[in-house]
Amino acid sequence: MKQVPQKDAPLKLNESGTWIREDVSYEVNEPDAYALEEALRQREKHKGEVVVITSGPARAQQVLREALAKGADRAIHLEDDKFVGLDAFNTAKAIAAAIKDEQFDLIFTGLQSDDYGYAQTGVILAELLGWPHATIIMQIEKNETGIRVKRELEAGFFQFVDMPTPAVLTIQSGINKLRYATLIGIKQAKNKPLRKVSLAEVQSALGENLQKIEKLYIPQKTKKTEHIEGAPAEIAKKLVDKLRNELRVL
Amino acid sequence: MLVFRKPIEGVERPQMPADVVIVGGGPAGMACALRLSQLIDAHNAAHPDSQLSKENIYVLEKAREVGQHCLSGALLDPRAIAELLPDFKKDAPLDAEVTKEAVYFFTEKSKFKFPITPPFLRDHGNYVISLNKFVKWLGSKVEETGITVFTGFAGSELLFDGDRVIGVRTDDKGVDKEGHPKSNFEPGYDLQAKVVILAEGPRGSLTKDLIKKFDLAKDANPQTYGVGVKELWEVPAGRIASGEVIYTMGWPLTTREYGGAWIYGSKDNIVSLGFVTGLDYGDPRLDPQHVLQEFKKHPFVTKLLAGGKMIRYGAKAMPYGGWWAIPPVAGNGWMILGDSAGFLNSARLKGIHLAIKSGMLAAETAFEALQKDDSSAASLGEFQKKVESSWIKDELWKVRNLHQGFEHGMFAGMFHTGLQMITGGRGLNNRYPATSGYQRMKKLSNLPADGGAEAHMLGPAKGDGKVTFDKLTDLYHSGTKHEEDQPAHLVIQDTNVCNERCVKEYGSPCQNFCPANVYEMVDDSSQPNGKRISLNPSNCVHCKTCDIEDPYQIINWVPPEGGGGPNYDGM
Repeated sequence: MKQVPQKDAPLKLNESGTWIREDVSYEVNEPDAYALEEALRQREKHKGEVVVITSGPARAQQVLREALAKGADRAIHLEDDKFVGLDAFNTAKAIAAAIKDEQFDLIFTGLQSDDYGYAQTGVILAELLGWPHATIIMQIEKNETGIRVKRELEAGFFQFVDMPTPAVLTIQSGINKLRYATLIGIKQAKNKPLRKVSLAEVQSALGENLQKIEKLYIPQKTKKTEHIEGAPAEIAKKLVDKLRNELRVL
Repeated sequence: MLVFRKPIEGVERPQMPADVVIVGGGPAGMACALRLSQLIDAHNAAHPDSQLSKENIYVLEKAREVGQHCLSGALLDPRAIAELLPDFKKDAPLDAEVTKEAVYFFTEKSKFKFPITPPFLRDHGNYVISLNKFVKWLGSKVEETGITVFTGFAGSELLFDGDRVIGVRTDDKGVDKEGHPKSNFEPGYDLQAKVVILAEGPRGSLTKDLIKKFDLAKDANPQTYGVGVKELWEVPAGRIASGEVIYTMGWPLTTREYGGAWIYGSKDNIVSLGFVTGLDYGDPRLDPQHVLQEFKKHPFVTKLLAGGKMIRYGAKAMPYGGWWAIPPVAGNGWMILGDSAGFLNSARLKGIHLAIKSGMLAAETAFEALQKDDSSAASLGEFQKKVESSWIKDELWKVRNLHQGFEHGMFAGMFHTGLQMITGGRGLNNRYPATSGYQRMKKLSNLPADGGAEAHMLGPAKGDGKVTFDKLTDLYHSGTKHEEDQPAHLVIQDTNVCNERCVKEYGSPCQNFCPANVYEMVDDSSQPNGKRISLNPSNCVHCKTCDIEDPYQIINWVPPEGGGGPNYDGM
């Protein structure tokens, strides 16, 4: 799960113009909230344990706390300011290194993040682990040989895929209805285990970033609004003239 | 058809026992929690064999994150925070120390500087802060103590046993627009508390219920309020010094309205500016958001802002009835803090330090009550005594008649203020009476159709999109967000009054006084006046103005689903 700037937060660019300044408010990446909900629902059906993982600075712990309050069993926090600047490949490498001793059956990620929007971290993680993966998941059912998942394709089409476990699934927003944290959940979350992983512990698995942001800028307004005045018939005539001769859409 | 929020009936509610529940995580509530923790730590250090636990002390905060609903100017008088955390300067987010101050009287195009700054507006030694950042910081200190802050949870009802408050019910989550539980419905909890502390801010909804139920305000003056409409700006360098404080009186208000503006220079070329309009104006068409826009058209202000960027917007009511408007602040199982009680110095336009101090005194009282396992009216009544023998009373006593002196306009107000200054706050009488602000609103039939002297600030502001803005543009900058599918939390007791009487008599002032476009009169030919009240509750910035200023007093503001509301980052 990832902590991202709130969707409508006013953003300011950092000095080098390569990312935003830190002083905004953050929230859980939306597709990740659905991924967590799906994990909790699968656990309710099939037993087991839900572990939440994030990589990011100290503030990102909030995401884990919220997940623990909603019912996750334990958490892993790859904690360092530098994790923010990693590309998807390195983030996946860091997570893979942090969970090398775990025995997961399924890894859920959100489809993509609301900030970078790479949609790569989950897929690369599957590759690094040597597991199969499927993206844009709308439904998960357990079957004889593993799981059957429903993927959302374009134009209202879906694809059903049978796949073995362990596997990585990237979850689409809207797959389920999110639950609320409860008071008792929030209280209990304080005593749930949270393992911190430092940058040093996973450093050896990391390489150079393969992707980097050259420049970030605020889009310039280019839209022009023109008012056509006059009597309705006159306006209609002028409008048709513009559409036909200036814009050439008629 | 409007469906209004109320707790769902007939559901089994989870119960949770509590020693202390603090409703509201603002400066008062957080200071209270922190002081309580300090007292428990000190006790535990001194009594290794009788340890006290903080396990069952809770703060309820309706915002999704601590501080998100906190809005103030703000200037901090450090007196209380220095008592609570003597080392506060080490890590508190103090943006600038006040270096320079001035008071101006504005006319439409020009201004007069007061030759001396009145003593109560001298701010050396105070700090320009963002209350949002300051409360976030206080909240992080509270979380470090082990006290649980439940963010995203509102207090929706008080629980009573006869004349005793025995707890707080939190808000129901997952209720749809029609008032039915959704598939993810979570009933509110019943927190059964030994001590309930109300720190909800101005016009708290539970505080209002409590005052009404026990008729607590019967011996107090009616509380009077203003609404502060604020914008945060980033301006080109050199326009205002960091730590520079400017107050203005006059334009765009006439001598009939009470109010004024603040302009504070913060760090990094950030300017906090806003206009407080007294919620006791006469013309129902007056629009406080419009007042701020007119204020910015004054050449002095336009020059300050030109080329800058507005980055945040918000609004919040403030109580300035003063000492005589404060109800009893403690009773059987309950205490009231900060702005909920009315601890605000209207001469100095400051309340944060009083909120903190009241929180500390309440914590000391609660601690003693827990020690002797007695939270009766006699036991918690100690809080009342502590307030009366503290500097809270010293400070408020001196200005006890200030706002009442302005009830008959600015000139009478200045006369009374002068008189009160030389008589230790007394003026002509020890206690000046007051009138509820909404009662001063006049019917349209008694007002000039063209608006008269007030015409420039009536109805919606248009805005030039550069220095001035219409209400929706401003609202967008408040970052307000709510779950859309929930019942309306602006509970109108009788919408027939809106559709049949108010529209004719007052011209639906809700559309004007609400700084967030929550209220709208839509065309409806089935109604006698062709208009029907419609609500946009998702726009609500939780300022409480509607609850205060509605001339029929039929709007009851209750908290929406927890987590919703404005996002006052940096405000």
